[in-house]
Amino acid sequence: MTIKEKGYAHWDGELLDKKFPWWPITRYGIKLTFRRKQFKLIFPLSLLPAVFFLAGIYVSERLEDFPFFRRETVEFLQINPSYFKAYLASSFMIFLIVIIVIFCGSGLICDDLKHNALQLYFSRPIKKKDYFFGKTAVIVFFLFILTLIPGLVFFIMKLVFSGSFKFFVSYPWLPLSIIGYSVVVTAFFSFFTLFLSSLSKNRRYVTILIFGTYILSDILYSIFYDIFNNHYFSLLSLRANLQQVGAVFFSQKTPYPIHWIYSLLVLSGICVLAGFVLKKKVKGVEIVK
Amino acid sequence: MSIEVKDIHFSYGKIKALEGITLDLSQDAIGLLGPNGAGKSTLIRILLGFLYPDKGDGRILDYDIKQQQSFIRKYVGYMPEDDCFIPELDAVSFTSYLGELSGMPRQEAMKRAHEALFYVGLEESRYRKVETYSGGMKQRLKLAQAIVHDPKLMFLDEPTAGLDPQGRNEILELIMDISSKKDIQVLISSHILPDIELTCSYVVILNKGKLATQGEISKLKEIRDLYEIKIKGEAEGFLQKLRNIKCRVEIMEEGLLKVYLPPNQDKQEIFRIAAEKNVQMRHFVKSESSLEDLFAKVVGVD
Repeated sequence: MTIKEKGYAHWDGELLDKKFPWWPITRYGIKLTFRRKQFKLIFPLSLLPAVFFLAGIYVSERLEDFPFFRRETVEFLQINPSYFKAYLASSFMIFLIVIIVIFCGSGLICDDLKHNALQLYFSRPIKKKDYFFGKTAVIVFFLFILTLIPGLVFFIMKLVFSGSFKFFVSYPWLPLSIIGYSVVVTAFFSFFTLFLSSLSKNRRYVTILIFGTYILSDILYSIFYDIFNNHYFSLLSLRANLQQVGAVFFSQKTPYPIHWIYSLLVLSGICVLAGFVLKKKVKGVEIVK
Repeated sequence: MSIEVKDIHFSYGKIKALEGITLDLSQDAIGLLGPNGAGKSTLIRILLGFLYPDKGDGRILDYDIKQQQSFIRKYVGYMPEDDCFIPELDAVSFTSYLGELSGMPRQEAMKRAHEALFYVGLEESRYRKVETYSGGMKQRLKLAQAIVHDPKLMFLDEPTAGLDPQGRNEILELIMDISSKKDIQVLISSHILPDIELTCSYVVILNKGKLATQGEISKLKEIRDLYEIKIKGEAEGFLQKLRNIKCRVEIMEEGLLKVYLPPNQDKQEIFRIAAEKNVQMRHFVKSESSLEDLFAKVVGVD
């Protein structure tokens, strides 16, 4: 190769001080996640529960058209905060969230560590907080599609299908609950996923870590509960803690007879630990001592 | 001055990596030399703001290295030593992505990425994923990402590491083109002395975290007191005597001796010792020292 005849040419543009310097990180993160074959299949499937719940809202307004429904079904189709909680804080939804964060979040930091890419990021006018924000926003994007957006759509469609504001008048706080709970779940899983993603340079190990930690926390709770018959062991379970907090957001009875504040503290504690570890692990240079 | 640092100190725990480095550099192409562990990469990382110096100050392109790292990184291109890339991206996306992170508008970054890849000779394979690239291609890709935002100053850390002779020549050609004709200042850190000699006019040599020497390569070579000698007679006593007066002697092929005279020592002393030891001086010329000679002298290795 000889130097091209055209040679090096200066760029006559101006480098901008971007308002959201993290946005390219998020955009590329989302783009790369959608390129994965399995994700293309799993992500639409993960939206199926939302479609069923939306259909339920429609049916609840047209029960007279569905006389064959059994009593239990009709009871379930009473649209109230419990219905929203049943969608957002169900075990199945939390499991789906875990599956989605495995696909969209497991490689976010671990791939950068594996391929020494951090120095490429930090040799640009990018601060650590921009890097974290960009990576977090990838998880936030997918989890909001799974939680916040369906929750708000359910609420709006309930008003549309019923043709009145009666539901809004009865539960004016419900949109805030949907937003609040979605933010808590998304924030928790963002910290949790990025934390585990920073612990290894191998995406498979991170996947195992995320899935394993979630499942193991539940198994530990079951084992200790069986031995000691004490509900405080539910604090070991990520799912149980999220459901406890979810119940409070939707003004429902908590599923475990312990104060919900302990669950909130456990979740917050994990986030603080994650933040601390992330700060230590993510550096522009790796110092070999 | 583009690079100005004053009394920089930095330690990794108890290990002192840099001690009292003071530099004032404005030349087009500067070579940063030193043996392993001399502190070259640490210095570059401090200049980029990756590491915060324990003591000392500095300015890069008139921005403070302690306070204005973001501005420095905006106008500086960095080609790291390690193999580094963002997986699953093709070369165009990779280069344009990093251009965007530097502050380029999206469309401009994409356009410029194509130009940068064309410039480094990767136009044919710019749509291939970067993880499928060979070592030489990755090296060129690292150069492309360093120039995509048209920096005013470039830090190149071991730019020819792991390249075959042809790949090395190609990269050096590009570096020379950038530094000589494009008013971009280049700081090259390398172990490979001929690379520095070829591309740079100025050299900074670090040793054990300290500044060993700096200056124009041509001038540094001139002032060296290095002589090539051939003798007849009993060499052992003669060489010992030279070593006693702190001369460093290298025995070359065909009985040629390279004698590095210490500062403040007159060359007449060599003749005096020869006479004393009854040795005939058959050949005595002031040697044209190479950068390797200079490096060996200041770093104190053979």
